[in-house]
This record gives sequence, C-alpha cells and structure tokens, in this order.
Amino acid sequence: MKRLRYFIQRTVFNMIQSPLLSSATIGTIGVALMLLAFFTLIVLNVQNLTRQWSSEIQVTVYLEQVPSTTTLRQWQEQIEQQPSVVHVTYVSQAEAFERFRKRLGRNDDLLDGLLPEILPASFELVLTPESRSEHGAERLVQELKKNPAFTGFRYGQDWLKRYDAFLFLLKLTGALAGGFLIFATLFIISNTIKLTIYARRDELEIMTLIGATPMFIKIPFLAEGALQGIIGALLALGGCHVLYYFFLKRGLSALLTTTAAGNITFLPLSIQAGVITLGFVLGICGSALPLRKFVRM
Amino acid sequence: MSMIQMCRIAKIYANGVPALYDIDLQIPAGEFAYITGSSGAGKSTLLRLLYCADRPTRGQILMGKRNITRLNARKIAFLRRQIGFVFQDFKLLQNRTVMENVALPLQVQGASIKETRSRTFEMLQYVGLEYKMQRKPLELSGGEQQRVAIARAMIVRPKLLLADEPTGNLDYSLAQEIMEMFSRINQAGTTVLVATHDTEIMRLLPRRTIALENGHIISDTYPAATCPETDTDQLQETA
Repeated sequence: MKRLRYFIQRTVFNMIQSPLLSSATIGTIGVALMLLAFFTLIVLNVQNLTRQWSSEIQVTVYLEQVPSTTTLRQWQEQIEQQPSVVHVTYVSQAEAFERFRKRLGRNDDLLDGLLPEILPASFELVLTPESRSEHGAERLVQELKKNPAFTGFRYGQDWLKRYDAFLFLLKLTGALAGGFLIFATLFIISNTIKLTIYARRDELEIMTLIGATPMFIKIPFLAEGALQGIIGALLALGGCHVLYYFFLKRGLSALLTTTAAGNITFLPLSIQAGVITLGFVLGICGSALPLRKFVRM
Repeated sequence: MSMIQMCRIAKIYANGVPALYDIDLQIPAGEFAYITGSSGAGKSTLLRLLYCADRPTRGQILMGKRNITRLNARKIAFLRRQIGFVFQDFKLLQNRTVMENVALPLQVQGASIKETRSRTFEMLQYVGLEYKMQRKPLELSGGEQQRVAIARAMIVRPKLLLADEPTGNLDYSLAQEIMEMFSRINQAGTTVLVATHDTEIMRLLPRRTIALENGHIISDTYPAATCPETDTDQLQETA
C-alpha cells in the first residue's frame, strides 16, 4: 500500500514538476495518434462507401423464351443453390417493359404501340459480398452457361474491372500509408519519451545509488508513460472528432450527395478503445526501451 | 573485523586501459581512510568497484563477509542501502526540496511516513539545515548542498560512507566544515573512505592514507598520532 501510494504520488508529481516535458510527450502522442486515427476513419468510411456500391453489383440472366411456371421455378431453385448467389428475382417481360417505360420518363410515348414481348424475361441475381468482383461474377456466369436456355448475361464487366482496380489501389494505399503512419508514430513517440527520460537521467542515477531496485525506479516512469499515452490518445480522439465534424461531415457534404454524406460515420467504439489501448501500450513501451539503457546498476 | 577486503583486484576497461592493477587492501570496520593520487590514478574506479557500479576484471572484493564481486542488480540495490555516498557534484535532485532529497533513501526502503519525517528532520538538524528544508538545492550554497548530500547519505545509518572528492567544489573553510562532519560520523562508528587529491584536507585531518599511482597502491600510511595539527611530514609509512 505504501509503495502504491509512493508510485502514484511520484507519477503525478513527476508530471507536475516537469510540465514542459510532459506536455511535449502528450502533445506528440496526441498528434501522432490523431493522424493515425483520422487515417483509419477515412479508410473505414471509404470501405463503407465501396461496400454500398458493391451491393448494387448483380448478374442479369436473360431467357430466350419464357418457359412454363414449373420450369421457371426449377431454374430459380437451381440458381439459388449456387453458393455465390444470395437472392434471385424473376423479372417477367411485362415487368421489364414497365421498368423501361418508367426509365423513359416523359418520353414513354416512344413505347406506344409496342408489346411487352419485345423485351426478354430475366433473372436478377444478387451476389454474396465475397463474389462481388469481376472474377466472382465470371465464375458464376460460366456455371450458368451450362443451361442453353440462358442466352444472355450482363454484369457490368467494364464497371467491375474499374471497381476491382479501385479496390486494389485502395487496399494498397491503405496498407502502405497505414504501415508508414504506424512506423512513424512509433518512431516519434519512442524518441520523444527517450528524450524526456534522457533529461532525467541524473534522477535515475541517483535512485540507483541510494539503493532503489530497478523495478522501483522504473515503475513511476512506466506509469507516467502509460498515463501520458492515455491522455495523448484521448486528445487524439478529440482532435479526430473535430476533423471529422468539420472536414468530413460538413466539408464533404458539399461534394457528395446528401445520402453519401449521411453515411459518413465516426470511428466505432471498438476502434476508439483500440486507439486508447495503443496510446497506453506506446506510452509504456516508449518508456521501457530507454529505461533499459539508462537504469544500470 | 574487516569492513572491506580487496584481493588482487584488477580493473581493465573495454578499450584495454588498465585502471587498477594488483590491488590488495583491507579496511577495518570503523576506520577513516583516504584514497589519494593524481587524476587518473584510479581513486574513483576503486570506489566504483566498492559500490558495484563496475565489476573488477580480476580478483575478489569482500564487504563484511560477503563477496560483492558478482552480484545481480537487485542484490546490488540492497547492498547500496548499507552504504552512504557523497560526491563532488552533490548529486541532488534539483526539482525536489531539501527535505525530499534527504528522505529519498528511506522512501526507497519503504519506511513509514512518520519515521521518514522524524528521521529526515533529525538528519537535517544534524547537518544544521533544518530551517532550509523546503528550499530547492539550487537555492543553497555549495557547502550547504554538500551537507544535504551528507544528510541523505547518513539517514539510512550506513556502515560505510564513500566520498568521492567531496570537497572538490568547495572553498577551504567549507571543506574544513565537511571534513569535520565526516570525522564526527566516523567517531559514531561508520567506516569512512574518502577519495581526494586535496593535500590540505589530509593535513587538516590526518588519517590512514592509501596512495594510488597508475592503478597501483604505492603507499599505505598511518599518521603518527591522530591530531588536527599533525603535519604530513609526521606521517609514518607503514605499508
């Protein structure tokens, strides 16, 4: 109990007695983690956005002739058994004609005198999230081609190619930039803490001379590092929230449609907890490494 | 009984420079001795070996009956709790008050707040600085800072007091004051070992003198009689 009180007192007093050093460390951790958190926020929102886009990916299978209701049900069941298919909708010729009319809007009079039979009936297939790619769609189409009654397939091949390329670029940029940011954050934080501990190396030397055990010397420094890490992480989340509100929520609403802007969300609680944990771990590790060097008996 | 026994000690640094060579030395408990010699003679290295800041390359060191040559970090810490240290540069924590500096060794040893307070006050009275206990070290003179360092060293009632050039930063009258304090500490039963090259101090307070040169002991002498007025000419070589 006595020891615990000493460690808590020492941790708080050290921070109060060296306000500049503490502020510098907290500030560095805060800025570094804010960059990392903001980057994560952008990546998560872009991922959400692309997930919404990908939900619109579907394969349309055109039928040369409309079969009997029983055959139609059989085919529908057959397609539904494909592992990459989530849902199958049958679009009759009449429904297709009606959709076309709606799409023409004011020019729907162009269809006057025409019969719904001019358009083919079709199946519209919604794919599983894993299959929403050019490769996934093609594999399904190859499987469906085994049925000679399925004469035409449309799945936005060109769009899917671009979507796949964009997704690849996004993942690559995310991995590279994220990796670089994590490395830079670690480097900056560990060096800042190293400098603050270096500035107090006399204290470490004196403590070793008066008979303090290595753990007794290190604990207040580690606790200080952990506390600074947590405070820095909380500041980072606060700063990130400000950036989110002004740049993403309000700024982007001018560029994106209202719906898309509404879909931009802040970091989920699990990621926020992760940022705080990262601050805590970085604070402890950043202190532990230089302490190994400076606390020598 | 010997407080310190060094047997065939050698210390050679990593760059191959020998700092100490063939040191055989016995310091009985309760003795006051000087380690002297010019700069680079090995005085500070010898003290560093005694408080385990360095390990000897060869030989054995006994403190009491305990071999301290190869102790781990934790055992070194516990050994140092029985030793008081005084350095030329005082080694005080500038951001803590005089009282906090003096109390530090007791806090490290887990003493109660009540005991820490009473013994700290007692030690500050002993060195005559109780009225400055809330000051920071930089607000004190050099002599006062050294007295704070002595109070900090003595608060744990050590069996051995090591002082490395304790008067190096002080003028003659302050140095005299500090040496008188060491003498009083020694009279109370603590073994005192002072590394110094200040001949004036040794003349003022003649005690056993171990002289080093190039890492060797070249002489180990006792004064003819322990008297403040004794001149170095009166020293009698015994080694």
